[in-house]
Amino acid sequence: MPQEYTEKGERSVSEQQLSDKNSNSYTLVFITVLSIIAAIILSLLASVLEAPKVVAKDLDRSRQMMIAANILDREGSFLIDDGKGKPKKARLENGKLVAKSVDNIATQEQLLGIYKDRLQPLLVDSAGKLTTFEAAHINEQEYVSAHRKMGYYKQPLKLIYKILPQEKNNSDKELYANAAGWVIPMNGFGLWDAIYGYLAIASDGITVLGMTWYDHKETPGLGANIADAYWQEFFPGKKIFQQDASGNIDLNTAPLGITVVRGKVSEVYGSSSKANSAIDGMAGATLTGNGVTDAYTDVLKAYRPFLKHVNASYSTNKKEATS
Amino acid sequence: MTHIKAEQPLSYLTNQLWGGNQILVAILGICSALGVTNRLSVAVTMGLAVSFVTAFSSFFVSLLRNITPDSVRMITQLTIISVFVIIIDQFLQAYFYSISKVMSVFVGLIITNCLVMGRAEGMAKNVPPIPAFLDGLGAGLGYAGVLFVIGAIRELFGFGQLFGYQIVPLHWYASLEFPDAYENLSIMVSPSAAFFLLGGMIGIYNWIDRK
Repeated sequence: MPQEYTEKGERSVSEQQLSDKNSNSYTLVFITVLSIIAAIILSLLASVLEAPKVVAKDLDRSRQMMIAANILDREGSFLIDDGKGKPKKARLENGKLVAKSVDNIATQEQLLGIYKDRLQPLLVDSAGKLTTFEAAHINEQEYVSAHRKMGYYKQPLKLIYKILPQEKNNSDKELYANAAGWVIPMNGFGLWDAIYGYLAIASDGITVLGMTWYDHKETPGLGANIADAYWQEFFPGKKIFQQDASGNIDLNTAPLGITVVRGKVSEVYGSSSKANSAIDGMAGATLTGNGVTDAYTDVLKAYRPFLKHVNASYSTNKKEATS
Repeated sequence: MTHIKAEQPLSYLTNQLWGGNQILVAILGICSALGVTNRLSVAVTMGLAVSFVTAFSSFFVSLLRNITPDSVRMITQLTIISVFVIIIDQFLQAYFYSISKVMSVFVGLIITNCLVMGRAEGMAKNVPPIPAFLDGLGAGLGYAGVLFVIGAIRELFGFGQLFGYQIVPLHWYASLEFPDAYENLSIMVSPSAAFFLLGGMIGIYNWIDRK
């Protein structure tokens, strides 16, 4: 190969350079300069991409919350719930969602628009009293980003998102009224690191609408399955309050949470009423599953007074509607 | 086996695509070929990311080949490769967040993909930058091609879809009335399927090559 010859020819000419090239001082200088150049390139890149990365993460969080709240499906088209069975695919027409059987992947603007219209951030205190951010004189953005890591459930005023029905605006005086559901932000610890997600509860305060985990560092293929659709779809319809043996729920004393079991729920609990508050475990991810169970127990405990209020308001609405 | 002609720089690229394919001939880069091929979109992204990293890291390894001290040769190569892997990772996180979530650690693991370092050590440090660049690009594209074939087979038989679009008609599927009808092959979803497919492809390659 002619390539080889020129290569060797060059080397014999620069014999002097070669011996310099392998001296210790040259090697040290070479590596230092190389590292500094690499560091400069990467830090420049990181600062340039910081803004789009934050936008992408925020958008993903909004998406995940809407998926949990059944406003968006996992492929990215909107859903509407017409009260008859499963939520149906929908398209945005003149600012309103209209049922359409075909897929319509929502654009970023549509997504954020619907997110603003349908999910109202509110604060709830430990007695279950709801306030808006304006009434509490708290800046929403600052609050949301400051307490994400620690967990909102540890704050005196806890974050909660009200799912507004399609036709209603958010001008209701009574904050508990007219909710299509509620989204509770979740914090917990998986096997490797903190996990963050959302749990959406139906308007009765007991039944799960949907859930997502949007940020985690679990093992791909094992614990990372908590972010996969197939596992998350076990959750809708489960009860966060455990039923007693006769199927009743006492909101004051019933254990709160959803248990991720080892193996299959049907094998662990059979037909016991506990099966309504339990989820099939993932093979090879027992510790992640335990982390998820603990997250639900810890977070929901702090929201028990709130959930009792939700259920009370749901029952009175139901009575008014039937009488 | 090799068909490289120094006077034809493009032969560096074409040689990598088939005659010197990194997966089928050198059996390098197997790990990620098993991990990221259950969906075509992920396999294609991975293939393009590796092509980008191999092409540019080979270019810069070759550019520095005459001033790189021999004793820190591999560290230099690793530094250059890592820079490009981090560029790709950051770029995906900023503009293709959903894909970067699916790929998770596999983007970072391009650093340890043996084929990238194999090209730097086996080719780039011996030839001028342009042939090195073409050789790296070819190696990446050859890798991407194999991933594409495995990804297509796995997604088609594992999910009945290609690029997320339903290909197998939904009424073919087994239901309560017709329990004996078509069902997705669950083994295709797991990495072991990629292992068997890869073995099959290497076998077919050798069979064609021997003729």
